[in-house]
Amino acid sequence: MNNGKEIIGRMKHRMGKFSPGKKNSITDIQGVRVGHLTVNKDVLDPSGQSVTVRTGATAVIPYPAEREMRIFTGSFILCGKGEVTGYQVADDFCYLNSPIVLTNSFSVGKAYNAILSYGFDLGREETWPPFIIGLDDSFLSDMKKSTLDEEQILSALREASKELVEEGSVGIGLGLRAFGWKGGIGTSSRVITMGNEQFTCGVLVATNNGNPRQTKNTGSDGDPTTYPDDSLIIVGGVDVPLVPYQLKLIAKRLVLSESCLHRAENYSSSVVCILFSTANPMSMENQGPRVFDMQVMDDKLLEKIIQAGTEAVLEAIIRSLLKAAPVQGKSGRVLKTIPDDEIGKLLRE
Amino acid sequence: MRRRNFIKGALVGISWPQAETLFKSVRFQQKGGNAVSDAPRKRLRELGIQIGTLEPGPCNAITDVDGVKVGHTTIVKGDGSQAVRTGVTVIFPHSGNIYEEEVFASSFILNGWGEMTGMARLEQTGKLETPIFLTGTYNVGIVYDAAVRYLSGINPEMGISDKMLTPVVAECFDEFLSDARSRAISKEDVFQAIMNAQGGSVEEGGVGGGTGMTAFGFKGGIGTSSRKVDGQYIVGVLVMANTGSRDQLRIDGIPVGKEITDSHSKTGKTKSIILIAATDAPLLPYQLRKVSKRVALGLAQTGSISHTESGDIILAFSTANRILRKKAGPFHNLKAINDFWITPVYQATVEATQEAILNALTSAQTMTGRDGNTAYGLPLGQVKAIIRKFKRIRE
Repeated sequence: MNNGKEIIGRMKHRMGKFSPGKKNSITDIQGVRVGHLTVNKDVLDPSGQSVTVRTGATAVIPYPAEREMRIFTGSFILCGKGEVTGYQVADDFCYLNSPIVLTNSFSVGKAYNAILSYGFDLGREETWPPFIIGLDDSFLSDMKKSTLDEEQILSALREASKELVEEGSVGIGLGLRAFGWKGGIGTSSRVITMGNEQFTCGVLVATNNGNPRQTKNTGSDGDPTTYPDDSLIIVGGVDVPLVPYQLKLIAKRLVLSESCLHRAENYSSSVVCILFSTANPMSMENQGPRVFDMQVMDDKLLEKIIQAGTEAVLEAIIRSLLKAAPVQGKSGRVLKTIPDDEIGKLLRE
Repeated sequence: MRRRNFIKGALVGISWPQAETLFKSVRFQQKGGNAVSDAPRKRLRELGIQIGTLEPGPCNAITDVDGVKVGHTTIVKGDGSQAVRTGVTVIFPHSGNIYEEEVFASSFILNGWGEMTGMARLEQTGKLETPIFLTGTYNVGIVYDAAVRYLSGINPEMGISDKMLTPVVAECFDEFLSDARSRAISKEDVFQAIMNAQGGSVEEGGVGGGTGMTAFGFKGGIGTSSRKVDGQYIVGVLVMANTGSRDQLRIDGIPVGKEITDSHSKTGKTKSIILIAATDAPLLPYQLRKVSKRVALGLAQTGSISHTESGDIILAFSTANRILRKKAGPFHNLKAINDFWITPVYQATVEATQEAILNALTSAQTMTGRDGNTAYGLPLGQVKAIIRKFKRIRE
């Protein structure tokens, strides 16, 4: 097993200026919960063909989901490839009113439905629009035949907890591939001190990006370098009082922070970042006051949050790789855990 | 009448050389500006035409938003190929020092064939930190330079030990009536507009940045209007209109342009329109972006189709939250309207935009400029008759 601590320690100058929160996880933010559902099975389809299912769903619930409210969000998509539902409201109205679910591209419709059901079951007027990010895990999984059902997505939502988040080949992370090695889920957090107050910035990433040429890993099935890149997903949260233009600005920077893992030839990955602030919750439609009073952080302090967020994103990406157990998938393909020295190359130490 | 008030207002608190410059420009105006006699100009409402259902503010102008000030410098001189019909209009978002107290702002570019400087920073920071200047296309550099000089003059640390600013300077192309290539504007003209800035009624038509502008085949220029929202807030719009063709012109939904029968309507190609919306409703930048989009809807109601070569650029700002640059402590206490109560602001925006554009047309006098090109004032008698014919007149 890799020694993640040692690598992250070595990289202290890049990801260690701010200290991590208690769990070093997105769940360090008050009220944030994460749940996984992992489906790892080999079955026969009705025609008798074997189907390799290496998929799942990962849910991030940014605030107590039974509460009828919405929170500010800022998002940025660099080269969109997959589906992002709820994006129009997130981009135009700049709020989030739903859990965030990461699942495979063929399960997006089911997840959409599941989030609505989840809200109705909790007695919410609605959790619309559902925020779902679709990932392509077809390198290891027979994605077309691996559509999750509503119950499975619901279980990821219902089992979401504020405890330590499982990382690596778990949830939607099971079938992911990054830099030609096993990708997956990673999380990290940073504590930001401003005046007498302490705030937390936490991120959860799903790594399904990165060109294998970068680490010269040829994999086990032909030339995986020809297999298309997919996306890096960054879900971030802060409890700092920020309004949408500030969140969007930070989201852009978090997307950029990933670029230090890339080389010029690696042009085709997409990066999706959604960042939310739990600090100024607002009432829903036609409820609450006409005008909200809110405390908003001064722009001069944004840089600090960008620094902390960038550290957390880098560490979360590294953790997603280090914690990802090897997975054998369809057509006998195997993705191995990235070796330590390859991590070094990736980080261009 | 309004023009005389303008001169009087301008003379208060300025030195003699400045006043002399102003007199000069007025003299030129009388010589070259109104070469063709024209019926007295009116605002749209004075013709008995009301747009929408909301009530305008006291001046029916962007200056109804408390603290907003508008100033013009009008330059009309020469004839023939050297005729100059240009100027600059400045809008101050509030009466304080905007360098020290920023306001939230956002923009919407309906069609990007134009220039509005300062946008990169404005969209990034979500804030307006300078006055807004409207002028002719080729004047942008001179106005920008003057704006930087003015801003650095009143903020000595700017660009040395404190933040640099990127002034907002927007343009339309006034080459039909003016020898635009001569760039016959000086930094003193810009300072003059700054000194002229005041609240209350705003002079409209062929004045300030709007001096040489044409719209919908007629003389265009500066127009403004405002609406009250729930008796609590004001939305004001000011435009510099230089866009649209005559066939497209609609007033309150009526295809007035198609019905006008006189023959003189050639004003060259349609060009651009700059639209500025101001409100005292507490809006955050993302909400102001949404308001900016509604400004485009108001433009559409005048019949404009946002022609390929029309730079249709919109900026909206809210004066409700002042962001203090030298704020002690990390946080600001701000207000933001609930998204689900914002619709009346949109209605006010669409109505005021439409009326502001039409006010530019009804207020603008016929003007002859470069190479004898003439832009005729919208024939108000005919407009009234057409609208009466459509049984939409309110008397």
